[in-house]
Amino acid sequence: MIRFEKVTKNYPGPGKPALDQVTVDIDKGEFVYLVGQSGSGKSTALRLVLRELRPTTGRVYVAGKEINRMAGWKVPRLRRQVGTVFQDFRLLPNKNVAENVAFALQVIGKSRREINRVVPETLEVVGLKDKAQRMPDELSGGEQQRVAIARAFVNRPMIIIADEPTGNLDPQTSVGIMNLLEDINQRGTTVVMATHDHGLVDQFRKRVVELEHGRVVRDEAAGSYGFQHDEAP
Amino acid sequence: MQLRYVFTELRSGLRRNLSMHVAVILTLFVSLTLAGCGMLLQRQADKTAEALGNELQILVNLCVVDDPAPDGNCASGAATDPQRKEIERALEDSPEVESFEYQTQAEGFEEAQDIPQYEPYFDGPDPIITEEDWPAQYWITLKDPKEAEGVKSAVTGLEGVSAIKDQRDDLEPVFGIIDALKYGSWIGSGLLLLASLLLVANTIRLAAMARRREIGIMRLVGASTLYIAFPFLLESLVTAAIGVALTAGALAAFTKFAIMDGLADVIEFVPWIGWDEYVESLIGLVPPGIVILGPALTLIPTLLLTRKYIKV
Repeated sequence: MIRFEKVTKNYPGPGKPALDQVTVDIDKGEFVYLVGQSGSGKSTALRLVLRELRPTTGRVYVAGKEINRMAGWKVPRLRRQVGTVFQDFRLLPNKNVAENVAFALQVIGKSRREINRVVPETLEVVGLKDKAQRMPDELSGGEQQRVAIARAFVNRPMIIIADEPTGNLDPQTSVGIMNLLEDINQRGTTVVMATHDHGLVDQFRKRVVELEHGRVVRDEAAGSYGFQHDEAP
Repeated sequence: MQLRYVFTELRSGLRRNLSMHVAVILTLFVSLTLAGCGMLLQRQADKTAEALGNELQILVNLCVVDDPAPDGNCASGAATDPQRKEIERALEDSPEVESFEYQTQAEGFEEAQDIPQYEPYFDGPDPIITEEDWPAQYWITLKDPKEAEGVKSAVTGLEGVSAIKDQRDDLEPVFGIIDALKYGSWIGSGLLLLASLLLVANTIRLAAMARRREIGIMRLVGASTLYIAFPFLLESLVTAAIGVALTAGALAAFTKFAIMDGLADVIEFVPWIGWDEYVESLIGLVPPGIVILGPALTLIPTLLLTRKYIKV
C-alpha cells in the first residue's frame, strides 16, 4: 500500500538529511506506528506520502503508484485516498460537527444526497452521532479529535495518516482514540500513526518502525516503544 | 461542484473583506472611467479628423508678379503656362490626389470679395490687394485626408509654385486639445489601473490568509486547485462587475450630459460622438472595452496569485 524505496530527503541548507536511504513496505490493512525522537524524520515521511514533499532521491509508492513523478493535477485524487489526522485537530471553528465532516466531501464535489447519507454513518462510527450539531468549542479534546478522524475517514480512504493524534490528549482519552483507529483499521483501512506515546504503543501492540536521524533503526512486528534501545546493552 | 457551497463561500468572502473590496471597486471605477473617457476622446478625434478631413483641401498658390515667396520658385515672376502644365502633370501623377481644380486670379479675387473679413483690403481708390496680387490656385482634393505629404513634396520646389496651404493645419489646435485630454486620461487611467492590480493582489493575499485553515484542509482532503480558487475568482468577478456597472453609468452620463447635451449644442460644426461610440467603449474588442478590461484586471491577478497562495 505504501512503499519507500531508498528514499532520501534533504531540506535546503546545511545539515543531515531528514530521511536517509529509507526503505519501508507497508501492506494493505496494516497498522504501523512510526516512532522516534523529534527531528527523526517521522513528519517528513508522512508528508512524502501525501505528496506535500518530494524525495531528493529514491521512490515513494502509494496504492501502487509512484507519486513523486505524479503530475500536479493528479495529486488531489491521490489525497482523496489518504485521510489525515493531526495533533491539533484542525477543525473549522465556524462549522458544527456535521458540517466539519461534510466539508471534506463538499470540496471534492460529492452530491448533497451522498453527504447526507455518509456523514451520519461516519459520526456513528466515531461515536458522535448525538453531537452532530455541536460547535467545536463545545466539545472536549477527545471529541474534537474524533471529529477530525471522522473527517479523515468520511471519504473511506485506503490509508489514514495520523501525526501524533493523541499528543494533546490525556491517557484515558488517548485509549479511546486508539480504539477508534483500531476499529477503522479493522474495516480494512491502512493506518500509519506517528507517535511519542510509549504507553499506547506498548498497550496496543502493532508493527513499529523506528526512525533515528532519518534512518530506519528498527522495524518490528507487534513491537513496543523503544524496546531495543531500552533493552540493548 | 456544489453551487450552494460556492455561493456561501462567496458571500462570507465578500463580507469578510468588505472594506478591501470597496476600495478595489472604487479604484476600478475611477480607472475604468478614465480609460473609457480616453477611448471616447480617441473616437472623437478620429471622427472629427474623418469628417473635416474629407472637406478640407490643399491649396497650391501660384506665383504672382513681384511675389514675396522667399524660396526662389517665383524668380521668373508670375507663373507661366509651361510652369502650370508642369504642376498639373505632378498632380496627375500623384497617387494621393483624387481631383484638382484650377482657379484663375480673376475667379479667386471675385470669390474673395464675398468674404466679409477681406473687405477692408479691397476698399478705396488704392486698395491693399488687387486682382494682380491675388494668386491663381489649384484646389486639391485628396483620396485619403490623412495622406498629403506625397503631393505636397511633389509640388514643393516646382517653378511657379509660391506657397502650399493645408487647410487641416487650421485645426491643429483643436486636435491638440483632444490629444492632450486623451493622453491625460490614459496616463491617469494607467496609474490607477496599476493601483487596482495591486489592490486586487493585496485583497487576494488577505483573503488567502484569513482562510488558510480552510484552504489547508481542502488541500489535504483532495480538493482541486480550481475548486479552492473558485470562490476567490467569483469574488474578483463580483467586484469587477460592480466596478464595470458604475463605470458604464458614469460614461453614459459623460456621453449624454457632457457631449450630446453639452458640447454638441455649443460647437455645431464638429460631428460629436454619441451612443454608438459609448457602446463601443463598453464592448469593443480593439482597444478592449470596459466590459473586457474590468474583469481581466481582477481575474488575471487573482488567477496568478491563487496559484501562488493555494498551490496544491
